[in-house]
Amino acid sequence: MIRHLFKLIWNRKKSNFLLITEIFFCFLVLFGVLSFIVYNVRNYTRPLGFKHENVWLLTMRPSTDSTAQNRQIVEQVIQRVRAFPEVDQASLISSNAPFSFSQMNNHFSYGDVKRIDSDVYEVQDEFKDVMQIQVNQGRWFGTSDDASHHEPVVINKALQRVLFGEEDALGKIIHVDDSTNFQVVGITDYYRAGSEFSAEDPAVFTRINLKKNPKYFANEMLIRVKPGTGIDFEEKMVKEISGIGKDWALEVATLEKMRQNKAKVTIIPMIALGLVCGFLILNVALGLFGVLWYNISRRNSEIGLRRALGAASGQIYRQFIGEVLVLATFGLIFGVLFAVQFPLLQVFQVDSEVYFIALAGAVVLIYLLTTFCALYPSRQAAAIHPAIALHED
Amino acid sequence: MITLSNIEKVYQTKTIETVALQNVNLTVPKGEFLSIMGPSGCGKSTLLNIMGLLDIPSSGIVTIDGQPIETYKDKELAHIRNQKIGFVFQSYHLVNDLSVMDNVELPLLYRSSISGSERTKRAKAALEKVGLSARTQHYPNQLSGGQRQRVAIARALVGQPEIILADEPTGNLDSVMGEEVMNILLDLNRLDGTTIVMVTHDENMALKTERLVRFFDGQQVSDSKLIANFQQV
Ligand SMILES: Nc1ncnc2c1ncn2[C@@H]1O[C@H](COP(=O)(O)OP(=O)(O)OP(=O)(O)O)[C@@H](O)[C@H]1O
Ligand SMILES: [Mg+2]
Repeated sequence: MIRHLFKLIWNRKKSNFLLITEIFFCFLVLFGVLSFIVYNVRNYTRPLGFKHENVWLLTMRPSTDSTAQNRQIVEQVIQRVRAFPEVDQASLISSNAPFSFSQMNNHFSYGDVKRIDSDVYEVQDEFKDVMQIQVNQGRWFGTSDDASHHEPVVINKALQRVLFGEEDALGKIIHVDDSTNFQVVGITDYYRAGSEFSAEDPAVFTRINLKKNPKYFANEMLIRVKPGTGIDFEEKMVKEISGIGKDWALEVATLEKMRQNKAKVTIIPMIALGLVCGFLILNVALGLFGVLWYNISRRNSEIGLRRALGAASGQIYRQFIGEVLVLATFGLIFGVLFAVQFPLLQVFQVDSEVYFIALAGAVVLIYLLTTFCALYPSRQAAAIHPAIALHED
Repeated sequence: MITLSNIEKVYQTKTIETVALQNVNLTVPKGEFLSIMGPSGCGKSTLLNIMGLLDIPSSGIVTIDGQPIETYKDKELAHIRNQKIGFVFQSYHLVNDLSVMDNVELPLLYRSSISGSERTKRAKAALEKVGLSARTQHYPNQLSGGQRQRVAIARALVGQPEIILADEPTGNLDSVMGEEVMNILLDLNRLDGTTIVMVTHDENMALKTERLVRFFDGQQVSDSKLIANFQQV
């Protein structure tokens, strides 16, 4: 019977062409949207590599350009902040705090591996405690590195993988420029600071050493407060800091709030795409439904004939469902051939697995959709009275 | 054996009520070659549909091999049609998107016990019987009317049914071809014992059969045994 259906569809390929094309495009759209969703959801399920609860970001905007003076004020501020009993720890950070909208990157080479792009985070020794970073191999940097000839850095395993491969990264020197060499002192598992939907991109933490670098200035500070600390303390803290940095503009945001804001950047397009895709599918479904219905009404006499030759009404029902599945299969064959090019050619830097999950999902959805659209018309076909159908022609 | 007792068939449309058959009592014994004649619209096709379990009468009882058909479910009726009955329709009813071969195989497709190669073998044999061996891979719209009629006949006999219901099987054929088709039917009847009910407008064809029933306006008007002629053939 299946061979019979393939033959039937194949012989009707001209009139089925539109339907097959429609299924093909519907599949591609589904595949695209599912790839996007699977990509994000997979990232979402991965650990962030830090704990953002009870962490605040303090942003300070100096009123003057006087670097030396500003630097002095920042040092005073950080000392003051650390002294609050409500504060566990605080660290200055370059402007790319977790869930912020700015990025800082550089490229690094090691041996034959050239120009690997990586996020660079400038942080203080205390950052590890503020963000509760786990160092899996080696150690976090600290005052013991003051004497070191090279700049101590901690990298995440994503950078380790691309830069060093199977080699042990600890102790390795990364030549950055004529005056700077990084030495890997520790490796963390994950660090996905962009957003919860960020991929596991390479990251490197460099050490802010205020003593060695008298001109260094950072205007953002991450502060871990004791659990339960609220707005009262925020006001108190801001007031006190205003006393140190006169006329400085101060802003405090919780990382939780920033996380929510950043997540919207992904979630909103995801919902929008999902909606557009939903409407598209609804459209395709209605079209499919209409075409199937029309096709079946055109084939009344064939249905009557099959009934006369011994098809029970259930067999007619199954035949029409079967035909739609065969049609879908034709559309999907072309669709899948097209879609597998993405993982094969590595068009975007996305895990092949994402594509394969999306592909399988789209195939299943298309079969479900087409079957669903075929249910009612097929039932109509099965209900056709053979004598009347044969009479009509 | 098919028996019809007190059959009435009324077609009800919104505005008019057509009585297609009225007070029909007819028994077709196993192995009989019966022909039916009557003017257009007198209910011949309707009668064949009822005999072929495609339609149910408005009133009256149809039995097949002694069993009233009301006792069968849809699935069982389909099974009986498939196993016991071969149809030749007035307007061929070939599937245009299937080759001649596939059209002829169609009844066998609904018999799960028959393999693909066996289907092909039987379809070939049936096409040979109607003289169309050379056209197996053609499509219906590449055939002449007479050729289509013969494909339809091959399809009716491919399943070796006990009963063949033929609605003007020679209506679209020239006299030579008509003779040939008639001979095929006569052979089926005599050699295989197939019961045949044939509607025809051709007096000569009717006279070759065993029994002739004439209809007028949905009623039987005559029923004559032609057994003498039949034996002469
Ligand atoms: N499905 C139907 N709905 C309404 N009326 C019908 C239907 N089928 C047949 N009729 C009517 O029933 C009557 C008998 O029709 P039928 O097709 O049996 O005639 P027939 O004897 O086969 O004629 P012909 O020799 O032209 O084929 C006709 O008057 C026809 O209009
Ligand atoms: Mg008729």
